[in-house]
Amino acid sequence: MSLIASFDEFVPQLRAFMSRTQEFSVPDAELDAEFNRLAAGLFMLQRDAVPIYGELCRQRNVSAVEDWREIPALPTTAFKEYEVTSLPPAERTHVFHSSGTTRRRPSRHFHNGQSLALYEESLRPWFRRHFLPPSPSLRRASHPPSSILHPRLLILTPSAAEAPHSSLAYMFNTIRGESGQAIFTGRIDGEGAWALDLEQTLAALGEAQSAGQPVALLGTAFSFVHLLDHCRAGQRRFRLAAGSRALETGGYKGRGRVVAKGELRQMMTRWLGIAESHIVAEYGMSELSSQAYDRVLPDEAGGEFRFPPWARAQLISPETGREAGEGETGMVRVIDLANVRSALAVQTEDLAVRRGGGFELTGRAAQAAARGCSLLLQEL
Amino acid sequence: MNDNTLNLPNYFLADLPPEAALTPGLITEACQTLKRNRERYLQGRTTESLIQSLDGIGRDWLEADYPFRRHVLEAGPAATGFSAAVLAAGLDSFFQQLTAENLEGLLRQELGHAHRLDDFFPGDHERGSNRVALARGPQLLAHIAPGNIPNAVLLDMVLGVLARSAQFVKCASGQAFLARLFAHSLYEAEAKLGACLEVAEWPGGTESLEAALFAEADCVAATGSDETLAAIRRTLPGQVRFVGYGTRVSFGFVARDALTGRHPETIAAQAALDVAAWNQLGCLSPHVIYVEEGGRIGAEGFADLLAGALEALEKTHPRGRLTAREAAGIAARRSFYEVRAAHSPDTKIWASSESTAWTVVLETEARFQVSCLNRFVYVKAVQDVREVLQAADPVRENISTVGLASSGARAAELAQQFARWGARRICPLGQMQKPPLAWRHDGRPALGDLLTWSEWEK
Repeated sequence: MSLIASFDEFVPQLRAFMSRTQEFSVPDAELDAEFNRLAAGLFMLQRDAVPIYGELCRQRNVSAVEDWREIPALPTTAFKEYEVTSLPPAERTHVFHSSGTTRRRPSRHFHNGQSLALYEESLRPWFRRHFLPPSPSLRRASHPPSSILHPRLLILTPSAAEAPHSSLAYMFNTIRGESGQAIFTGRIDGEGAWALDLEQTLAALGEAQSAGQPVALLGTAFSFVHLLDHCRAGQRRFRLAAGSRALETGGYKGRGRVVAKGELRQMMTRWLGIAESHIVAEYGMSELSSQAYDRVLPDEAGGEFRFPPWARAQLISPETGREAGEGETGMVRVIDLANVRSALAVQTEDLAVRRGGGFELTGRAAQAAARGCSLLLQEL
Repeated sequence: MNDNTLNLPNYFLADLPPEAALTPGLITEACQTLKRNRERYLQGRTTESLIQSLDGIGRDWLEADYPFRRHVLEAGPAATGFSAAVLAAGLDSFFQQLTAENLEGLLRQELGHAHRLDDFFPGDHERGSNRVALARGPQLLAHIAPGNIPNAVLLDMVLGVLARSAQFVKCASGQAFLARLFAHSLYEAEAKLGACLEVAEWPGGTESLEAALFAEADCVAATGSDETLAAIRRTLPGQVRFVGYGTRVSFGFVARDALTGRHPETIAAQAALDVAAWNQLGCLSPHVIYVEEGGRIGAEGFADLLAGALEALEKTHPRGRLTAREAAGIAARRSFYEVRAAHSPDTKIWASSESTAWTVVLETEARFQVSCLNRFVYVKAVQDVREVLQAADPVRENISTVGLASSGARAAELAQQFARWGARRICPLGQMQKPPLAWRHDGRPALGDLLTWSEWEK
């Protein structure tokens, strides 16, 4: 296996891989081999250039890998405690923080211009593929109205300018260029928490409904619950134009009412008039540079998260540390080739089971200490 | 539940199939029946006869072929997640305590006389004066049982029997296994005792059911998180007595004098027993073992021995299966410390391979750390006891037990220090999950707190 000498040498190879795999016509065997070659090469670079990662690899006695599945993964908690980066401080032009309660230390993911560009290149095509395809009937039409291809984006997070350390706000900022118009209706409240400008959101929904223009809502589960609870309380029911859609990304940040995914979707259908087939869930985190989606809109079937070809998910049995068997619950581990300057292998605390070619999220690792014991003294 | 080995009558609410919905009316009716039965069957019983009955039941539960015990060991692992060996050890440590002698000792300790629940008697200091007193238990004692370990409620039920109270034992959903079997064993031994007991399960905080229960009870004893207790207290009618056992944590302290002997591995084995008992899930289980520097081996040597002892216990007393969420909680915490250990010699980790069965984390940072439990224990080095008291200061209000490895004058001095600081109970390491029957639960007289006195100045 030929070695990759530097990050600068790796990046164009990754770009070539990303653009080839987007054609979705590369044979599986070739794709596997190339993914493996790039992963093994990036692993060697990171082992030498990311101090905390090198320390973990030495502790585990892993100096080279034959197969990407052997790459040691860093837990997301390592991003809280250490600087997981190969970038010297002077080159760190941007940092993403994980969301969470203010009491908790956030994860930090450092970027420079190049790694940020890769983040954008990774998120764009996969987002477009899942969320922006027009409905099949319109796809058949010779000239689908541009409003369907480019729905108005109503983004329920603060803007990237207001939330400069949010990878999600950055992502939505990147995506806004994909469509005609976009507004951010999220705000930062007095305590630094995310809030939703309900008035502006409702006005935008009302306007789009009157104009018969499709809307694409993008936000966290928390922001959707906030909006939909408000609609329910005021019995404000929207019938958004056909082609309207929603992208929901996990996370309640320990605030607000937690709603089961199915119930949230029913509420979206009931109060916004968005069909189940047009609701897509995104799985991403500040520690990664690629995202998984659970549906190619407007497919009826959904619920299986898939990463783009340049990132792969493994499910690891929490009990044995080995890959979980069929039907067994495992912890999601992501090998993300776009995580060039940090760590490509990230171990999350999310639980999932394999389903089809993807995975279905089922929960999170138990957090609290003793059952019935709410003390948590030292933040992990 | 598999009742093939044990043909239990449908007697308690907890015996109903899960699809049978409880209603407030059903709870009210059950409570009123319990109170009537108490008047008929229990109120007039003598302490002597109740003690004999409890003593007999305690003996039965220790017999290997007692059907209820057999059933716990056969069906318990599936019902509770504990392995048969862990359940057997838990049953033994409780029922060995349930003797006539201990019950009488408890009464004398808390009431000053063994028969003050029967009649007017003077206490030890009232002899010669004209003062006598008798104690009465609540008519209906409602227990809100904890979800963490299954036997905690057994002692509470025994106290209720001594107090001649009708008892309604409310367990969390799916957690009634042992309480229900113990109630059946009382019913089988003496149907009239069983007639004064009810066991039911529902999700904590189900307001309509709890309101019905609290309206009938004159005393509520609840174990749970501080938030749970506060929520219950808010809903209680004013005249109902409330006895709450809240969030508690415990730790071990290995004094240097204990590690100067030739067998530090026996100390480590005792610590391992405390970690393994009820899989560390009880309030009396240690989260941290502090090791005082200056002994023959240091904290690191002790952690290594503890890891070996936990590995040995896994063979004889396996931890049993966890849910994916719990196992993932351990796996995630292990990864965190593995990275720390890779980065700095201040942290070391020992862990069972290919399983989450046990984990030992050694840290130089002394601060008390809450464990994720299920046999995940911290070992921390300290210079002296003062450093422990400082390190555990944030949980000072919540400390239950200190498991102490020390002896002689040093042990007495350390016990003083821990007690003055706030520890409710100090016991030898290895005994943390085996409190005596008469122990003052969280520093309070467990039976005494249920009773009301009537005094007669002759």
